Amino acid sequence: MASFLRLLASERLKLSKSYIWLLVPLSPLLSLAIGLLVSLDTMDTTWKYGNYAILVTAMASFHAMLFLPVLTGIFSAFVCRYEHGGGGWKMLLSLPVSRTALFFAKFTVVASLLAVTQLLFLAAVFVAAAYQGIDGTIPWRLLLTGIGGGFLACLPLAALQMLVSVGWSSFAAPLAINVALTVPNMLIINSKTFGPLYPWAQPMLAMLWYGEEDFGSLALPMENIVITILGSFAVFLAAGLLYFNRKEQA
Amino acid sequence: MNNWVIETKGLSKLYRGRYAVSNLNLKIKKGDIYGFLGPNGAGKTTTIRMLLGLIKPSKGSVHIFGQPLEKERLSILRKVGSLVEYPSYYGHLSAIDNLEAIRRIIDAPSAKIDEVLNIVGLSKDARRPVKGFSLGMKQRLGIASALLGNPELLILDEPTNGLDPSGIQEIRELIKQMPKQHGITVLLSSHLLSEIELTAGTVGIIRHGELVFQDTIERLHRQAHEQGTLSLVVSEPEQAVAVLQEQGLGVSLMNNVILLKHIPDAAIAQAVKRLVERNHAVYRIEEKRQSLEQLFLQIVGEGGRP
Ligand SMILES: Nc1ncnc2c1ncn2[C@@H]1O[C@H](COP(=O)(O)OP(=O)(O)OP(=O)(O)O)[C@@H](O)[C@H]1O
Ligand SMILES: [Mg+2]
Repeated sequence: MASFLRLLASERLKLSKSYIWLLVPLSPLLSLAIGLLVSLDTMDTTWKYGNYAILVTAMASFHAMLFLPVLTGIFSAFVCRYEHGGGGWKMLLSLPVSRTALFFAKFTVVASLLAVTQLLFLAAVFVAAAYQGIDGTIPWRLLLTGIGGGFLACLPLAALQMLVSVGWSSFAAPLAINVALTVPNMLIINSKTFGPLYPWAQPMLAMLWYGEEDFGSLALPMENIVITILGSFAVFLAAGLLYFNRKEQA
Repeated sequence: MNNWVIETKGLSKLYRGRYAVSNLNLKIKKGDIYGFLGPNGAGKTTTIRMLLGLIKPSKGSVHIFGQPLEKERLSILRKVGSLVEYPSYYGHLSAIDNLEAIRRIIDAPSAKIDEVLNIVGLSKDARRPVKGFSLGMKQRLGIASALLGNPELLILDEPTNGLDPSGIQEIRELIKQMPKQHGITVLLSSHLLSEIELTAGTVGIIRHGELVFQDTIERLHRQAHEQGTLSLVVSEPEQAVAVLQEQGLGVSLMNNVILLKHIPDAAIAQAVKRLVERNHAVYRIEEKRQSLEQLFLQIVGEGGRP
């Protein structure tokens, strides 16, 4: 554990002097813009979850469907990029560190960046809600389940992207794979059969509550999402760890 | 048996059906500087990668500090500083932050950073981003990184790659004092004998993945000496050759100069005596020593590429 924390401290240093932080507020800012511009009046305001749910669904449309999964890939590729670039892997792995601990340290960095992104999204929701003049009590439970769920749903994707990024010294290739796997979300959103099974669709299912066909996490049984997220996380993480531990470090 | 800091048994690495390293039995003494020599592609880096656990041997075993690498990798690596092939660095960080990134992992004292920067002569440029460094400066940073954890064993793969002559000299002196001042054992790879001739106590020469020589540098010197030739200039070379051949000596004649393989002093005395007895005038006897470099080239050149 101590060695994991030391690895994390080292990762923090490498990241602190990089530009990756500029990407973190991007999607929350765009969501904020949507939140400020959207007109709530046209929506069915008698919907049982109220105006907050409508607002969040509108704001999260791009965020959860596209940006969040894509950012997951970018963050994962980024924490591997500076190792591929300067021969960092062979140096790191010649130090007394376990490969598993190193994998988790990098994974934790990716997860932290995603967590910050989600917190900024939450802040954007509050700003937009205030601007739109939504009153009444804040539905904390709903907000935290949705935003937290979106975060958790990204972790399996992060595990898979870490695997691809560790194995591939190119920065663009893992991103291309990630985008290719994310784009189908736009079709899958309308499929009640595939949506609950497709890992890349889970952030969207967790965060989009309102839809014409009453589609979204609130319309689906919770277990469905949990099983898909947990299952894919276990598989992708195990594959990543296995691969990284066996990789020949040339 | 556990006197060896590094001991490999039958160490081999198979790449695409070809052995890049084959049946290597390295033995490296504590406090020694071991020069690991071989031409390009001989398998030096591949061997070093196996010693550090970066790649797994196809066959054979590695023991470092008397412990099996496979089982005790982490506790072994805690005492090893290394530089593999080309130097590793984070371009967006300064030299100080590069070292700090490693320091945090190995938990070395902060003061060590200034110390190693000083040792490799990078203090002045320590705050610049490393992506603006020259190859030689990056190489120095790599050596500084290797020293950061107070290692008992230094494994340096062509550490003077990219350095200017004065830098080479500097690093050579630095490496030389490691065993004396700090009791550190050093494994130093190079493809130039001249590079390690002045530093190493023991030499291992690898060719096509096989260890073809492993002994002290003195032994290598002696071997070079023994492979030298004698040249004789005499009044009637052709007849003289016949005289020498009568005595069972291997002789050849080139441009009226008689060439003799290296033979013991007594045999030379005997040969000269016979020539003089037969009324040959001996004008000149010269010993042509083989230089170490020639011997090295001969050792690595034998057989050619399979
Ligand atoms: N990852 C790899 N896949 C396939 N072959 C490899 C790999 N790494 C090394 N080799 C081969 O193994 C042989 C030894 O390479 P190695 O890098 O160990 O040589 P070297 O002695 O370090 O040479 P140099 O002086 O050029 O650094 C070479 O023929 C090389 O082509
Ligand atoms: Mg090499």
